[in-house]
Amino acid sequence: MVGTQSVDGAAGVAGSQVTQSVIHNRLVMICREMGIAMMKTSYSTIFNEGLDFSCVIFNRDGEMIAQAEFCPAQLGAILFTVRWAIDEYGLENFEPDDVLIHNDPYRGGCHMPEHTIIKPVYYDDELFGFVANIGHVAEIGGMAPGSFAATATEVYQEGLRLPLVKIMRRGEYVQDIWKIILANHRTPRHTWGDFHAMIGSLHIAERRLHELLDQYGVPVINEACTALMDHAERWMREELRQIPNGEYSFEDCVEDDGATSDPTWIRVTMVVRDDEIIADFSESDPQAKGIVNATYGVTASATYNALFHVTDNEIPHNSGCYRPIKIIAPPGTVMNVQHPAPSVGGNTETHPRIVDIILGALSKVIPERVAAAEGGTSCNFLFGGHHPETDQYYVVYSFEGGGWGARHYKDGNNVVVVPNGNCRNTPVEVFETRYPWLTHAYALVPDSAGAGEFRGGLGARRLLEVVAPAEITVSAVFERMQVNPWGLLGGGKATTSAILVQKRGDDRFRTFAEVYGTVSAAKFANCVVGPGDRILIQSPGGGGYGPPSSRDPQLVLSDVEQGFISERAAREVYQVAVERDGSRYAVNEAETAGLRGE
Amino acid sequence: MGYWEDLELAWWDTNVVNCSFCGQMIPKRRWVSEVDGEVRSFCSLDCEQLYVNYWVPKHGHTTPTPNPLPEGKGPE
Repeated sequence: MVGTQSVDGAAGVAGSQVTQSVIHNRLVMICREMGIAMMKTSYSTIFNEGLDFSCVIFNRDGEMIAQAEFCPAQLGAILFTVRWAIDEYGLENFEPDDVLIHNDPYRGGCHMPEHTIIKPVYYDDELFGFVANIGHVAEIGGMAPGSFAATATEVYQEGLRLPLVKIMRRGEYVQDIWKIILANHRTPRHTWGDFHAMIGSLHIAERRLHELLDQYGVPVINEACTALMDHAERWMREELRQIPNGEYSFEDCVEDDGATSDPTWIRVTMVVRDDEIIADFSESDPQAKGIVNATYGVTASATYNALFHVTDNEIPHNSGCYRPIKIIAPPGTVMNVQHPAPSVGGNTETHPRIVDIILGALSKVIPERVAAAEGGTSCNFLFGGHHPETDQYYVVYSFEGGGWGARHYKDGNNVVVVPNGNCRNTPVEVFETRYPWLTHAYALVPDSAGAGEFRGGLGARRLLEVVAPAEITVSAVFERMQVNPWGLLGGGKATTSAILVQKRGDDRFRTFAEVYGTVSAAKFANCVVGPGDRILIQSPGGGGYGPPSSRDPQLVLSDVEQGFISERAAREVYQVAVERDGSRYAVNEAETAGLRGE
Repeated sequence: MGYWEDLELAWWDTNVVNCSFCGQMIPKRRWVSEVDGEVRSFCSLDCEQLYVNYWVPKHGHTTPTPNPLPEGKGPE
C-alpha cells in the first residue's frame, strides 16, 4: 500500500504512470459502482431497465476527472452543467453533506427530464471535489404524462424547471424543496425512489473517494488527475492531427418540431487546424417553435460524441480530452436554445442528427473512420394512466433501438439505441407484467437496412394492444419518418420510422395525425387509446456503406438465411441469386455472375 | 488587454447570460476585451482567441446571432 504522501513526495508518486493508471482505473470503477447502485435501487424502468443515467467525478475546479461508459448525451453536457453550477452557486456556499439538484436546460442541461444531482466531497474539512450523476427522470409534470410534451411551444409546458437548489443541507432534507418537486410530478413515489437512488450512488462515490484519499492523500490524487487530464489532451491532439487540415461542411434537418410541420435545418462546418478542431454551427436555423431545439449541452455532447467515434476509444474521457475541441453554437439558434423555447426533443432527436452531420462532414476526408447515417431517432414512446389492477397511476418512458450505419469494414448493428443513449430497450416482459399492454410482436424488420458492401443495421417492429379495461394516454417523439437515413460511398438508404394506431374495429393502421388530428404524425401528446386499440412502432434501419453489388455473395446468403433481407432484395438490390433448396438456401453462382455483369 | 467584469444579476433573476459568440453560459463574470478597436465581451480568453483567429478572418467583426448581454458595471 502506498502511504499518504507529503506535497514534496506527491510529484514522484503521482508522476509514476503506474500510479496514474491505478488511480484512473479506481476513479472509473467508482463511477461504474455508482451506476450499479442506481440501477439496483431505482424505481423507474427508465433507470433500472433503460440505464438512462450517467455518473461522474469532478475536482474542486470543476474539471471532470472520471466518467464511465454511460450515456454520451449526458456525459458531454455534464461537463458544463457542473462547472457552471459551481461557478454560479459559488464554492463558498457548499457545505459537507449537501446535495444539490438541477435540470435547467438553459444552464447546461440536456433537456428538462435530465436531472443532475451534485454532492461536494470534503476530506479533512477541505473541499476535494464533487461527485455527480445525471439521470432521465421519467415524470416531471408539464402538459403530458412522461413529460415529453411533444407539442409544447415553451419550457413551462415541459415540466418543473429547477435551477441549482439544495435538496439536502448538511445531510438534512430541505423539505420545502422536496414538497415543491413532489407536488409537481405525476408519480411522486417514483421520483422519491429515483432521487434517492441517485443520492445513494453519490454517497457510495464519496465513501470510495475517501478510501482512495486515505490511501494516496490529496496531493497525489490531484497531481495524478492533472497528469491524466494533460495526457488525455495530448492524446486527443495527436488523434486530431491525423485528420487533414481543412473545412468540411454538411447539413441535415429535423423533419418537424411538433408544433409546426416545418423542417429545421442544422448545419456544421468542421474546421481542422493541426491538433485542434472547431465545430461551427453558426449557419444553422434559428431556434424552432417546437421541441427540437438543442441546448448548448446537447450540441456540445453531440460534437464530442461524434468525435469520439473517429478517435481512439482508449483516450481517457476526462476534461483534458475536450480541450482541443471548440464549439460555436450561437444563442437563439436551434443549436443553443434560449428561454423560453422548449427543448425536450433536442436531446433525443437533434443530438443524433448532429452526430450524423459531423460524421457526414468528416466522411469527405476520413471516410474510413466514419459510419453511414444511423436510425437517428430515439422513437420516444410515453404512456401513462391508472392501472386497472393496482389503481396506481403509472408513467413510462420507453425508447426503441434502430439500425446503426455501416462502416467501411463492417455491417451496422441491429436495433441499438441511438448513439446519444447507450441505453437498453424496455423488454416485452416489463410491458406486459407492469403495464396493461399485450405484445403481439417484437421483431427485426427485414429489408429495413440500407444496402451496401456493408449493410446498415436493421430496425425493429413492436406491436402492442391495450388490455381491457385500461385506457392509456400516449405521447411520442419520433424522427426519420420522412427523410431516410443515408448511405455512404454508394451505400443505400435505410427505411424510415413509423408509429401508427389501429382503433378497435378499424381494418387498418393509420397515423395519429389521421386519427387524432395531430399536427405531426411523429410528435404528438396526450392521445388516449382504449381496450383493443393497437399501436405499431417501427424504428428505422441504418444506412449502407459502399455499393451493394460489391457485397460478398456469402454474406448476402447469410442475410437471407437469417431473414435480414428478402430473396427479392438479394436479387434486385445486391444482384445475388439466392435459391431455396428445401429448407436450405444456396447462391446460384452462375446467375449471380450474370446479374453482376461479371 | 482585457479585464474580467462581474455580471450584476439579482438572486431572484433566473435568466441566463450567454456568450454572444460561442454560446456558452456566463455564470458570474465575462471577459471584456478590445478587438481591433471594438469592445467585445466573451466567456473566456480562449473564446476571444477563437473569435480573433477563426471568426474575424472569415466574417469580420460580426456576431453570429445578436444576443446582447445585460449591462455590467464596466471598467474601474
